[in-house]
Amino acid sequence: MLLQTKGVCKYFGGLKAVDQVDFSIEQGKLKSIIGPNGAGKTTFFNLVSGLYKPTHGQVTFQGKDVSHASMNQRSQLGITKTYQITSIFPRLSVFENVRLSAQSRVSMFNSWRKAYSYSALNNRTMEILEHVGLADQQGRTASELSHGEKRYLEIGIALATEPTILLLDEPTAGMSPAETVEATHLIRKLSNELKLTIILIEHDISVVMGISDEVMVLHEGKKLAEDTPEKISANETVQNVYLGKGAEPCSR
Amino acid sequence: MNAKKQINEAAAYKPYSWQTVLEFRAMWVVLALGIVLPFLVSKPLATEIMIYALFALAFNLLLGHTGMISFGHAGYLGVGSYAGAMVVFYGGVGVWVSLLAAMAGGALVAVIVALLAVKRKGAYFAMISLAIAQMLYFLALSPFKRWTEGEDSLKLPPLSVDFPIHLNLSDQMQLYYFVFVIVALAVLAQWRLLNSPFGHALKGIRENEDRIRACGFNITRIKFLSIIYSGLFSGLAGGLLAIYLGAASVTTLFWMTSGVVVMQTVLGGTHTFMGPFIGTMVFLYLRNNISNYTDRWEMWVGAMFMALILLFPEGLWGTVMQKIGERRRPSAS
Repeated sequence: MLLQTKGVCKYFGGLKAVDQVDFSIEQGKLKSIIGPNGAGKTTFFNLVSGLYKPTHGQVTFQGKDVSHASMNQRSQLGITKTYQITSIFPRLSVFENVRLSAQSRVSMFNSWRKAYSYSALNNRTMEILEHVGLADQQGRTASELSHGEKRYLEIGIALATEPTILLLDEPTAGMSPAETVEATHLIRKLSNELKLTIILIEHDISVVMGISDEVMVLHEGKKLAEDTPEKISANETVQNVYLGKGAEPCSR
Repeated sequence: MNAKKQINEAAAYKPYSWQTVLEFRAMWVVLALGIVLPFLVSKPLATEIMIYALFALAFNLLLGHTGMISFGHAGYLGVGSYAGAMVVFYGGVGVWVSLLAAMAGGALVAVIVALLAVKRKGAYFAMISLAIAQMLYFLALSPFKRWTEGEDSLKLPPLSVDFPIHLNLSDQMQLYYFVFVIVALAVLAQWRLLNSPFGHALKGIRENEDRIRACGFNITRIKFLSIIYSGLFSGLAGGLLAIYLGAASVTTLFWMTSGVVVMQTVLGGTHTFMGPFIGTMVFLYLRNNISNYTDRWEMWVGAMFMALILLFPEGLWGTVMQKIGERRRPSAS
């Protein structure tokens, strides 16, 4: 197992946002976490990314306990997240957005050498921009990109840190149905081509079914089911949560 | 050679944005203007402009480039000034050692501020830095009066430099070019600093602190170092100020010094490299001219400052750059 959580809990006062969740993912797999709004997906995700520290339980990565490692420490270990709300460097160029992120693996404090003189970094940046389809936009200021392009840039920034495991928080949020299809294909492609381990969060069940190796369903902070997409679709409890209570969150 | 060529071919990118190219040229234009400045305005005003421009650039390392607002930059300038003056007054050392001491003094205050406040954001950081600077002011004013001479200022003997060439710093012209060369070198060093990996990390913090942390940057340490660099350059400006004034004065430590540098920087444009330099030139030129006509110059400078900020919301230089950007956009690919 590349990453594992054992009985992790996160309480906010009396609210049990995440309650006793066991989760694991193998190298190279794409696993999705779904659940209705407020199911604790993002909280769980932030326990893995390091933004939150678990109230109880343990997060292990490559056999090491990382429960109390900070977000930048976990990033340096190879756990990198993207944001549900687009989080880029708006006034920097598309190129610089990705290059700066890649720079985190090379130099933080060198105050003399020219930042653009690291040709390995520059080349890697262009490779990543090719992967996410932004190579021809590299000179533009990031804030000028369209919403969909910003979401791809977001993924590009995360890829630049050479993650072992990539955490994607609703990468298709705010995209049109057509863009969503394109984005899900891109995510699957990244997983295949770069042999990346990916954890994907979604509230829209249809997005993940086609691309995931496995799906975990969260409901009210607890794990409801964990299985292959086919079996999840057939699972009655899951259907109740999503359909029985009329809780299909997006009208697509 | 072959490998280099390959990279150049593979690199269909132009990493330097037009803003960077424009700023680089503007820097050389302003420095070239510095060569003739003492013939355009009075020599003392020209010297003062250079010193305060360096101070404003150092201040903007934090405000414009890292995104941290400091209201206590008088502390770095003032302690730099005293450190530089004291080693001359009590130690009898030369001008170069004095400037090194000034930088060390500024950096020392920066370390104290950073230790106490590096994790504080926005107004909290501003208030802590202001409190420390005010504390230093009152310490210099009275408890340390034995060493600082308090309100009487610590007066320096006439100074001269023997290395690399002989300069008599009592001569206004020679003093100006001495100050100018040091300020120009410091400006170039800051340019280099801001275009280094560290400088780019600073911009990342300014743009999106949360994101840059998620990329794996240790922002606490980067900010810490940024505060120290700012203190170092501010201290250098303080050392030059002591040489120019022929004294280290307690008013340098007063909170108004911190306020004026904010005005100069904002006037020029915080999101630019040369903005603070240009803002300082305009500010001091206006102040100097208006104070020739009226004693109430603060009021007129204040009114002009407001008018200019309304006309140039991004600062004088910042707004010019913005307009150029807007004009470029339709034609940009």
